[in-house]
Amino acid sequence: MTFEIPFGPQHPALEEPINFMFEIDEERVVNVKLRLGYVHRGIEKIAESRNYQQLVYLSERICGICSFAHTLCYSQSVEELLGLEVPERAKFIRTILAEMERIQNHYLWLGLTAKEMGFETLFMYAWRDREIIIRMLDMISGKRVNYGVNTIGGVRRDITESMIGRIEESLKHLEVRAEYYTKVCTKDPLILRRTVGVGVLRPREARALCAVGPTARASGIAHDIRADDPYAAYGEIPFKVVTYRGCDVASRMYVRIDEIKESIKIIRYALKNMPDGPIRVRVPILMKVPKGEAVSRVEAPRGENLHFLKSNGSDKPERWKIRAPTLANLSSLCRMLIGINLADIPVVIAGIDPCIACAERVVLIDSKRDKWKIWNGKDLWRYANEWYRKKYGF
Amino acid sequence: MVPEEIWILIETFLFPGFLFLFFLAFFTEWLDRKIVAKFQNRYGPLYVGPKGILQPIADFIKLLSKEDITPRMVDKIPFKLTPILLLTLAITPLFCIPILSSTALISFEGDLIAVMFIMSLTALLVFIGGWASTNRFSSIGSMRAALQLFAYEIPMNIVMIGPAITAGSLSISKIVDWQAHGVWNMFIQPIGFIVLIVCLMAHLQKVPFDIPEAESEIVSGWIVEFSGKKLALIRLAKNFEFVLASSLITSLFLGGPYGPLYISPIIFLAKFFLCVFILSNLRAAFARYRIDHLLTGAWKYLTPLALLQITLIKIWGI
Repeated sequence: MTFEIPFGPQHPALEEPINFMFEIDEERVVNVKLRLGYVHRGIEKIAESRNYQQLVYLSERICGICSFAHTLCYSQSVEELLGLEVPERAKFIRTILAEMERIQNHYLWLGLTAKEMGFETLFMYAWRDREIIIRMLDMISGKRVNYGVNTIGGVRRDITESMIGRIEESLKHLEVRAEYYTKVCTKDPLILRRTVGVGVLRPREARALCAVGPTARASGIAHDIRADDPYAAYGEIPFKVVTYRGCDVASRMYVRIDEIKESIKIIRYALKNMPDGPIRVRVPILMKVPKGEAVSRVEAPRGENLHFLKSNGSDKPERWKIRAPTLANLSSLCRMLIGINLADIPVVIAGIDPCIACAERVVLIDSKRDKWKIWNGKDLWRYANEWYRKKYGF
Repeated sequence: MVPEEIWILIETFLFPGFLFLFFLAFFTEWLDRKIVAKFQNRYGPLYVGPKGILQPIADFIKLLSKEDITPRMVDKIPFKLTPILLLTLAITPLFCIPILSSTALISFEGDLIAVMFIMSLTALLVFIGGWASTNRFSSIGSMRAALQLFAYEIPMNIVMIGPAITAGSLSISKIVDWQAHGVWNMFIQPIGFIVLIVCLMAHLQKVPFDIPEAESEIVSGWIVEFSGKKLALIRLAKNFEFVLASSLITSLFLGGPYGPLYISPIIFLAKFFLCVFILSNLRAAFARYRIDHLLTGAWKYLTPLALLQITLIKIWGI
């Protein structure tokens, strides 16, 4: 006998609203239906009525956790359209902040995954360590979440000598903690039981379903925009792309913990080799961007982040398309979920590090005719009006 | 000279009767929360009373004042009866535990069996409560509770019989008495002691075994539809079960109120809090098991270990 249980839109294991309908046979998942659309904010539509400088701040609010990755991605695409060369020092500062954000995100992820496993103590520990890196970000930018550091043509805040010392100190502590978490997550028998062999995504499936970020790297695919298509200062910094071959939640955990260590090394190298010079090129606030199209890719903590920008020569973009990593990973998530145990659902969902608000786009799928279409706000508005007119006759 | 009846009244209602047990239950919850918070690098309850000691009572009163919802689709009678019965069944066996002296308030030959029976009934009530809620999450939660019962119940009852075999009596008071003249059962039955602690963790649905109410999986499981007064009673019942578990370990394996020199409730409480400490400590140190892990683990390790313990007792003939 199968019966359906809903998972979300409100659920203790989910930070953001998304709905999964699980068909359960005893404790095993037979089928899963996904429903998105609870936090659609129409950001892409808003963008068409704002100028390029305002959009930096709008892009920051796409996601709370990878806010830096989105502004970086957006700024890069505008810079490409303008043909702007960003100062070297700004590139290094961007790299440092992007890596700090990665550390911050991965600690957050570790804590949340531990919580889904029912391991509250590890959750508390990981979040306490996350506080250290958040303080460092606060020190550099003045804010804890949306840093407001990126701008078109460079960065707004510099990293001074006195900051470097404090960052080094906290990195030392974080490195010790990362080692400790490696030990915990590879030795603790209960964590191993809950993660090894759970939510398997084979390399071939990962490639076919376009998995990105740590999810793909845990399936043995060395896909990392930092190495494949270097941006900011990544071309000058040696680092290794962490991959694991386990294809399960445990591998996703190890990938992320190892990436914390790798990020610490990148930040150290960048701090040491940061060139002097200006940190930004000034651009006018109400600038006209030449006609053209640009695509910018950034490796956000959760995976590949893609911004497409089309300009029509005015001070407002004609189209701004955002593809956040979670959207790319949702299809592979549905694959992972089938066949697992009910108790493993939260861990597997947490495993891709979902950020639902980033992923929200209106995609309407007509399953009967197997057609799908993408609507913008106007179409939706028209559709809603027509529907009510037909039903109530006004 | 105070008449006998007044002593009995005091013992029933004040010490170590209802009033004392209520405060002990709340204090145990506070201690548990504080210890776990300490392990997790938090503060725990802080504001109500000194060091937040009155927080559990405040929580209880707050829950009592909340709206009490009975959903339309539930089975009304079992749904309403579950919290009350759960609380009753959690308090009753506590009177069989000797706290003040070597004899408990209620003591008869075979009260150990009665306690074991009542403990099974509480687990059954959890199932009934979850089933009567007719919620999808609580149905899964109650199924898990029933499965968990199959896992821990048998090894738990086997090891609880261990002390009875050595003492030659099925009365908890006599077992405590026997330990005063011999050794604590913990030393002669270490395997049983450990198995009992693990099984009691499963009985209490505490963290490695909080499978029936796993919050991140099935939204607190069988408890999900209970609110207001019912939830308050269930939480209080859970505290009493915690008290019962700790005092059972104390009585069966640690010699109850008997100290090295004299007999005192303070010694009982010291041992009792040691047990609370052990159980809370374990709660902070683990992630949650999956139900199939628990079932295989219990049948592969706990039950054979419990049987081994009984065999060893028989072989050594203590």
